[in-house]
Amino acid sequence: MRLSNRSTGATMLAAALAVAASGCSTKAPESSGGGGSGEGGAAASDVITDVGIEGNTITLGVLTDLTGVFAALGQDITNANSLFWENNQVCDTYDVELDVQDTGYVPQQGVQLYSGMQDSILAMQQTIGSPINTALAPEYESDQIVNFPSAWSKTLTEIPGTGVVGATYDVEIANGYDYLFQEGLLKEGDTVGHIYFEGEYGANGLAGTQAVAAEKGLEVIEAQIKPTDQDMSAQITQFRAAGVDAIALTVAPGQLASVATVAQAQGLDVPILGSNPVFAPGLLDGPAAAKIKEDLYIASPVSSFDAHPELLEEYQAAYPDAVPSLGVVVGFGMAEMMKQVLDAACENGDLTREGVVTAFNELEEVDTGGLVVPIRGFEVGQSPSLQSFILQPADVPGGATVLQEAFEGEFATAIAG
Amino acid sequence: MTQFLSLLLNGISLGVLYALIAMGFVIIFKASEVVSFMHGSLLLLGAYSIARLSGPLGFFPAILVGMLITATAAFIVERLIINRLRGAPVISLAIVTIGVDIILLTELIRRLGSDILNVPHPWGGESFRIGNVGLSQNRLIAILVAAVLIALFFAAFKYSNWGIAMRASAEDGETAALMGIRQGQVSALAWVVAGVLAAVAALFLVGSPTPGVTPAAYAVALRAFPAAILGGLDSVGGALVGGLLIGIAEALAAGYQDQLLFLGRGFSAVVPFIVMIAVLLFRPSGLFGTRELTRV
Repeated sequence: MRLSNRSTGATMLAAALAVAASGCSTKAPESSGGGGSGEGGAAASDVITDVGIEGNTITLGVLTDLTGVFAALGQDITNANSLFWENNQVCDTYDVELDVQDTGYVPQQGVQLYSGMQDSILAMQQTIGSPINTALAPEYESDQIVNFPSAWSKTLTEIPGTGVVGATYDVEIANGYDYLFQEGLLKEGDTVGHIYFEGEYGANGLAGTQAVAAEKGLEVIEAQIKPTDQDMSAQITQFRAAGVDAIALTVAPGQLASVATVAQAQGLDVPILGSNPVFAPGLLDGPAAAKIKEDLYIASPVSSFDAHPELLEEYQAAYPDAVPSLGVVVGFGMAEMMKQVLDAACENGDLTREGVVTAFNELEEVDTGGLVVPIRGFEVGQSPSLQSFILQPADVPGGATVLQEAFEGEFATAIAG
Repeated sequence: MTQFLSLLLNGISLGVLYALIAMGFVIIFKASEVVSFMHGSLLLLGAYSIARLSGPLGFFPAILVGMLITATAAFIVERLIINRLRGAPVISLAIVTIGVDIILLTELIRRLGSDILNVPHPWGGESFRIGNVGLSQNRLIAILVAAVLIALFFAAFKYSNWGIAMRASAEDGETAALMGIRQGQVSALAWVVAGVLAAVAALFLVGSPTPGVTPAAYAVALRAFPAAILGGLDSVGGALVGGLLIGIAEALAAGYQDQLLFLGRGFSAVVPFIVMIAVLLFRPSGLFGTRELTRV
């Protein structure tokens, strides 16, 4: 008789490791991007400074992702940040240097890299990734750091000094619904299927759907998934059986591609409304392209290149080999906002960290020249904007065109508080 | 009923792909007694190679070269690492494969970035319908190809010299060696075959209804693990049954999410592991695995 002395032990080991390994899922997505240039502030001879300014040079930190899952996006946003500051000054006096560090989208690495730059930066031009922003929140708060994340979760607005670049996901998707109602693509009492990621990104998007559903009597079929789930066949089959009139997505581009191909295959011909991170230009090379171009509506905090051709030209001249995504628009937009904060601090005569935070808190009605939706101001716990653009995928640089200029939907105020 | 049949068909199509990956685990385990945790990155390497090479070479040559690259990567790992550590404890070898997996995966993710890389399948996103029940052509072709491969594999396992040598080595390595079977060769070939199977599974896993090549494709291999384990880590037939079981369970749990709400949202993601644990509780060596017997 065969005596297998290794099989069972190995089986149990493998089972344990497989369970452990499956816990390492990927992360919630970030999104698209921006640009523009700003006006200089007042002259600054008697400006008080402390950390992060040497002579006439201000150093800003950038914690981005150049090698992790959001590397392409991180590269675009960071390039745009750099390009903006090459051509702009604070108060017409100070040049800005960026201390760019690559977190690889690992929170632990982000925390370590921040401790390395902590004593040499005035503020953070960019921090990519909700998990990293959340991990650094206590330090940013105690160090009085003004920071611009490239994610739109409502929880990020709870961090003092952190400026979400547009409407939060709940307000954003509610504006998307408003557009569908206006265009007659959805009506009161209809059924909507919403696929969303577990975690704060998905929960925040779903909250927007639930708020609209309560107002308009929509029936909502919720389908929660993990970022690693790639095949949406089962969810779309379920939606089709329930007879949904629209699909809402707070997921990543991979899931959108699957939703589009399966919906097409099953003959589920309904509009798809997406939170801004659902779209990536690469989708337009895949089998889902036709369906996506026809039925996808993206609620977005930033505009697209067709409204800002000069920005695209400038970017392509500086980075001829890059394939620009809307991350470029986000990057320019957030740099423009930082410039307005620093200019205001400079005009107040106080470019210390505390002075910068004060200027940030006092900022109202931020206009980035149409790159980012108008910002009403940064108040803790509130969506910085009530407006969103509606974009539609198309075969253009950046992959999308503006279908509806920035507007405030009827549900926005109630949701934003 | 339509919903059930659609989900079932989808589950089967997913299941055969899990089975292909799981068979890779099984033959590696049988030939070299290593639980390979680097299948996720091998899968991604296959998908990435095919996607990148499809442009310059054309679709079908890219598949062949992609399979070759994946098989070569598996071969190199076996020759450079596994073969030299022969006789090391099972757990050390498993951890070594995790290390190799992380290195390969990090590089692939860096290359992929956050965009989606598409494989230009000639069948695209078209679907095949019987009445109201639909399945993407990609998955239909996957079922057919997997069926042929699995049949070939079973035949080779049973009748070819390699198959016989492998079964003999798995049964009793020392005696097999005394009979002139070169275990190193058997093991190397097993890794190569596992690499090819991973590349074939990858080819279909990155097509409709799933998106192109993204880092998340890696996670599929993790779900094939429970398939191999519940089937019995040393049973090729078990890998097939396990794959189908996991694929169907997962598709049904996702499709009937609302009816299963009392178990919590996102239940389908844990279904493979719940099925695996349930099976192992009753059959610790898996459904078809060799039972451990101890003489006292």
